[in-house]
Parts: sequence; structure tokens; C-alpha cells
Amino acid sequence: MMWGSYQLDDAALKATETMILWRTEKGTVEIGRNTLAIPIKLNDQRKGYIFHGHGKLLLDTIVETREGAVGKPVENELNEPFLMLGNTEEIQQHLSTAAKEDLAKMGYGSEKEFLDEAEALLSQFFGKKGMHNHQCWGWGNNNGVIFAFPNETGKLDTLIANGSKLVYKAMNQVFVSNNSKVVLKTPTEVIVTGDNRKSLFIKKCMCYGNH
Amino acid sequence: MMRIELSEDLKEEMEKLREELAKLKEQLRNVTEREQRKSRGIYIDVGNRVHDYVEDVMESVAEGIHGELEKSIFIGPGGVRIIKGAVADREEEEVKVNFPKAAEVMSALGQEHRLKILKELTSGGKYINELQEKLSEITTSTLSSHLKILEEAGLVVQEKVRGRYLITIPGRTAYKMATRITRFLERGSQE
Repeated sequence: MMWGSYQLDDAALKATETMILWRTEKGTVEIGRNTLAIPIKLNDQRKGYIFHGHGKLLLDTIVETREGAVGKPVENELNEPFLMLGNTEEIQQHLSTAAKEDLAKMGYGSEKEFLDEAEALLSQFFGKKGMHNHQCWGWGNNNGVIFAFPNETGKLDTLIANGSKLVYKAMNQVFVSNNSKVVLKTPTEVIVTGDNRKSLFIKKCMCYGNH
Repeated sequence: MMRIELSEDLKEEMEKLREELAKLKEQLRNVTEREQRKSRGIYIDVGNRVHDYVEDVMESVAEGIHGELEKSIFIGPGGVRIIKGAVADREEEEVKVNFPKAAEVMSALGQEHRLKILKELTSGGKYINELQEKLSEITTSTLSSHLKILEEAGLVVQEKVRGRYLITIPGRTAYKMATRITRFLERGSQE
């Protein structure tokens, strides 16, 4: 049950209440009561969790420009296992040991089934990112969070947030935000905004801007 | 018939005159061509072949630049827009009008309070209570219903986290279009 220096704990837990895992004015990630959780550990310290239950991701991937707003909010139900790194201390206060019935509610016949599923996701995340060696990966010393949500293609949508800074990379878009500075890339256009909603639009066969 | 025998000297003189005449004709032709080229605006005084070649190249470049300028760069009050292939795209758009969508957008615009909502949003994103203050003559549920119609038409978008309503680029364009048409019609009726 290891992947590089990161490893999963061997006991399944569950959320004792609805929890907001992350929240800023741009987005939230929340999980419902009884969502299953497995801690991700590094040198015996909890660095994150893999959750599986009923949750929701809300993200306002909208760019405000002088010409008008561009983009649509993301509203995803989180019914598949997803990974989170960061904010562990607060979360662990609201977790307790999962019973067989809790596992059964999410379709697992045993704890091992859940652990195997979680390990596959952990391997996919660290394998994909090449961050399995923790010496190259200095996460844990700041207040940021990382989420990885499997999308319908089986790949991972990732959300990295630290204060007002945010990076969201999904199947059809990339959204980077730092206060009023935003970059949004969709399959058809790239929009860059700066202070005072100054913006640059790059579309297929088209480029224009205002200042 | 009397036959005049020309002396050799005279023959030689006439031959020279013919040659001189041919040279003058050639010079006259060159001067005429030069004047014609000058009148077309491009003239480089080099040898004829080089000149013709350069002129052809210049003309084709000028035509190319002129064509590109016409279809790819727009300068207006909103700034400079560089749009490649815009003419072709616009022609295609005219053919492929999505009439149901166009009707939906026009329908969304066709209500006084919805136009007022768009006007309020042109100054920046607003929460529903802020909009309610500005449109105190309608109830909150009516306001919500109008916002939903505007959102479905793609003229307004609502943030999921903060809940503010924002006008979209099509929304701003539609509002501008509605106000311009109105102004135009009002001006017409006054005249």
C-alpha cells in the first residue's frame, strides 16, 4: 500500500458530518456525511485523503472583462473517489472509523476493495504528475490544497489553490486566477485579464484586445 | 518612265535618316510607357525588364496588402481587432443563422425590466438584492424569473459561489443593439 514516499493508511474512515474541504470566493469543495476517507501519509504524517461519497465541486471559472463576462461556472457532483492534499488537521477532527455498512453503501464488499480503489487513484495521481518522490514535492508546509478528480475520460481534473491563487485544469478548460488576474483557456479561445478588467482575447483565427 | 540614279552619298544619308527616325520612335514609345506607369503611381527608373518585373511584384504585393487590410484589421472605438478570414466567416454566418436561438435572444430582450436588468449589469456584477433595489417596482420572484430567462438566453451568467449576476459579452452586445435601434427609431420619428 505504498506509492513512492506517499502511502495510504490501512483503515477506512468516514465523515461524521457534511464538511467544506475548501472554500474561497471562487469555489468550494464539500463532502456529505458518511463519505468514506483514507488518509494519505508521508513519514507517518497525514498529508491528505482519498474520499469517496457524495460531494460537490463548485468553481466560478468566469472571466470578467470590459466587454462582458466569459466562461461558465463548473458544478460537478463528486460521486467517484477523489484525492485531496492539504488541510488535514481540520478534516481529521470530523472523521471516525467506517463500518462495513458505510462501505457497503458506497458499493464496497470489504475495506480492501476501497483501499485498492484508493491506491489506484493515488498511483494515477503521483504517477501522472511524477511527484512520487517527496523530496521533489514540498507540499505540506503551506496552506494550499490540491484536488484530483477523475473525469469521464478516466483522466484527472486537477485543482490547485493557495489563498487567492487558483489553477484548475480540466478536460475542456484551464483556469488560472490570482485576484483580478485571470487566464481562461477553452477549446476555442484564450482570455487573459489584468487589472481593471483589461483583457486580451485570442480565438481561433482571431486576436483582439482592449486597454 | 524616268529613272533617277541616286548617288552613293545620298543613299547613305537616307539610311542614316531612317535609323534616326527609328530611334526617335523607340524613344517616344519609352517616354509614353513611362508616363503611363507614373500615372499608375509606381515608377522606378531602371532598365525596362527589371522595371517591369519590379512593377509586377509591387502591384501584387500592394493588392495583397490591400486585400488583407480589408478583411483582417478593424479599428474602432473598442480598440484594434485583427480578424483573419473575417469576411468569409461573416458571409458564412449570414447563411447559418440559428433562427430559434436568435428568436430566444430577441424574446429575452423583449421585456422592459429585462432590459433594465441588463443596463444595471453593464456597470459590473451585482447580487440579486442590489438589483432588487434598482428595480423596486417588481417583486423578487419576478426578478428571479427575468434573470433566469436572461441566463438561459446566454445574456447573463450567475456565479455559483458568490451568487452575483454578470452580463456576458453577448448580453452587452444585445443591450447595445437594443439601445441603438431605439435611438435610431426615435430620431427617425422626430424627423
